[in-house]
Amino acid sequence: MLFLLGLIVLGSCKKEDPLNVDNVSDLGGDTWVKTSLDQWLYDTLVVPYNIATKYKWDQFELELNKDLVPPDEAKVIPVMSSVKRVWIDPYVLQGGEVFFKKYCPKLFVLVGSASWNLDGSITLGTAEGGRKIVLYELNDFRNKTMPGYVPADSAIPKQMCHVIHHEFGHILDQNIRRPVAFDEVCKGLYTADWINTTDYAAHQDGFITAYAESSPFEDFVEQISIMLIEGKSGFDNIVNSITGTSIRGTTADQAKARLRQKESLVVDYYKTAWNIDFYSLQTRVRTAIVNEIY
Amino acid sequence: MRYINQHNSRMNPKDFYSKLISVFVFFSVLVFSSCKKENTRVFDQSPDTRINDALTQYGSALTSSAAGWNATIKTGTGGIYHFHFRFNESNRVFMYADINLETATTAKESSYRLKALQTPALIFDTYSYLHILADPNGSVNGGANGQGLISDFEFAFDSLAADSILLTGRVNGTKLKLIKATQQDFDAWQNGAWATVLAFENINKIQNYFKRVNIGGVNYDLKVDPVARTILFTWVDGNGNLQQFVTAYNYNSSGVVFDTPFNAGSQTINGFEVVSWNAGNFTLNIKVNGTPATIAGATQPLKVDLGAPQRWRQYAINNGGLYWISVNGFTINGVEDAFGIKTLKTDSSQYFYLLYWPVPSGQTFDALAPTFLIPSQNALDLIYGIAVTPTFSPDGRAVFSYLSDVVGPYPSTGPAALTRTQLLLPQGYYFIQTGPTTYDMVSALDARAWISWQF
Repeated sequence: MLFLLGLIVLGSCKKEDPLNVDNVSDLGGDTWVKTSLDQWLYDTLVVPYNIATKYKWDQFELELNKDLVPPDEAKVIPVMSSVKRVWIDPYVLQGGEVFFKKYCPKLFVLVGSASWNLDGSITLGTAEGGRKIVLYELNDFRNKTMPGYVPADSAIPKQMCHVIHHEFGHILDQNIRRPVAFDEVCKGLYTADWINTTDYAAHQDGFITAYAESSPFEDFVEQISIMLIEGKSGFDNIVNSITGTSIRGTTADQAKARLRQKESLVVDYYKTAWNIDFYSLQTRVRTAIVNEIY
Repeated sequence: MRYINQHNSRMNPKDFYSKLISVFVFFSVLVFSSCKKENTRVFDQSPDTRINDALTQYGSALTSSAAGWNATIKTGTGGIYHFHFRFNESNRVFMYADINLETATTAKESSYRLKALQTPALIFDTYSYLHILADPNGSVNGGANGQGLISDFEFAFDSLAADSILLTGRVNGTKLKLIKATQQDFDAWQNGAWATVLAFENINKIQNYFKRVNIGGVNYDLKVDPVARTILFTWVDGNGNLQQFVTAYNYNSSGVVFDTPFNAGSQTINGFEVVSWNAGNFTLNIKVNGTPATIAGATQPLKVDLGAPQRWRQYAINNGGLYWISVNGFTINGVEDAFGIKTLKTDSSQYFYLLYWPVPSGQTFDALAPTFLIPSQNALDLIYGIAVTPTFSPDGRAVFSYLSDVVGPYPSTGPAALTRTQLLLPQGYYFIQTGPTTYDMVSALDARAWISWQF
């Protein structure tokens, strides 16, 4: 009898088990009725590379203190197919599918507008933890295949390409560290004041961009990114255009030598760490970019 | 248990039953007390069940209206905008809006979803006409960069009634009101009634500064700010004095509606019915209380404010010896910054504003100069300018004559040079005071060139 009562006691309370989570709203992620755009993203990026693309608004993927807007759906396929041409295809062809699938960031978040900073400047791309890349200003994206393209529009596709190659460089660096010798090339010249430096002043000290001055970590991936998106001759032009002595006392010859030394360290790193012919990769990326914008 | 023990020593059948009853009572208490906890909930359903029910209820309300919803939103900058939404059950929304001619003409399809955020929320989750208002790019909507017109596209549900839904923006708190639309409301968008009304925005394409309309025998000059959506009336009263009246406006499917009705002497005007825009001769045909009228350009002020030029110059001298600024430079034939002064830049700085400085400290002349912002120092720089002398004519004009270049050699070509040539117009300028510290300086030649000064 006591046993029976015990069962009743237990049984009567089980009905109201507070841990029943079957109906938690949005558990398992957002759902919506799929469109042909969702299918295209699934077929083109999820199935082959396991890369998800979030184009629908989700405030929590973004900075909460910024006014941003979601992208126009019509821009999603042009942008992501451009990303495929200038980043995925060259790496897959040069480094192999297994390499690419293993290391590529797995989430793209798309934003329609630029992200305005307090100083009036705008951000066109950010990334987090080797996993997520945020691309901004999609609504102004136009490449030469789209109606109304003017050369000034090239800035946005090129900047997106810069961001993606920059972030992918970080992932490579975090998996197999860059050569120690790289950090020695411009030792003592890294500065938090890079924000007040122009790219040209940075070139004069042997840095490829002003941002490269911030740390060896950023310098390495800026070097990779600019060399890839500008191509061999574009990089040569940057190096050869350096004249005079920098305000920090670097002569033009020293600056050129430093950039050349970094170039060869990057090329060696790609060969030894990843068995990738950097110059061949560079040609593929640059050709793809030229096809996008010129 | 002590109760049972006390009766343990003398056990008989009667005691046994009474003991058994005690046990029952005891367990019954346990049963009730253990389950009673669960009955203290304020709601009889779990939060998840309730929020799912609410989302389902809102979702079916949104999709239930075959002719869609009429929506009104008031942005943080004060403008009232109207939308027409049609939601379907596949997370798609089709909309029109009275933002511009295109949004009033072509329905745009985008995506929406309902989501449990802190409260049930309606999210317009890909770009639509609604996002134009919230876009942080000022060139999209005329607002400030980084914030646009201060609006929302994520809304929390406030209330749901049979034919209306009230929502509040989750970021900027803008109020969105949905009223169930009739088929006629929907047709007004589809057959272009709203597009006709939006032709009113063409008023600022009129090539003269003065946009004049005759209503009931009185001439009025109109100044329309399409971003803030305000309209300023200026007229000469029976005693020959200038009068002004300003009101915010918005649209309905037949015309412009004033927030504050305008009392025009013999009649009260609640708005304009918009008939058509004539792109050939830059005129706007309207009806005022049913009577046709035409808004057209005019070359002279209704009444010249004779003292305005001197008042303008003296204000700067009296208030700290400072200067007047203009960000957009000259508007010519209705085109803002026609000379492209905003494109001026140097290697390390970019154009910030144009200044007119009456008697800079220690000098004997007035100066006109573009200023440049050096971002790395967050400082303003003067690179070149011109020294001028203003002459004030008795008929209320100011004429500027050139003395010399100042600071550095002034460019001989480009936006700065064109601005100088325009300033030195021999016919000079009328001044129109538009606020306590704002003046418009309008070409006395033909009113096809003007510049807005602010202090």
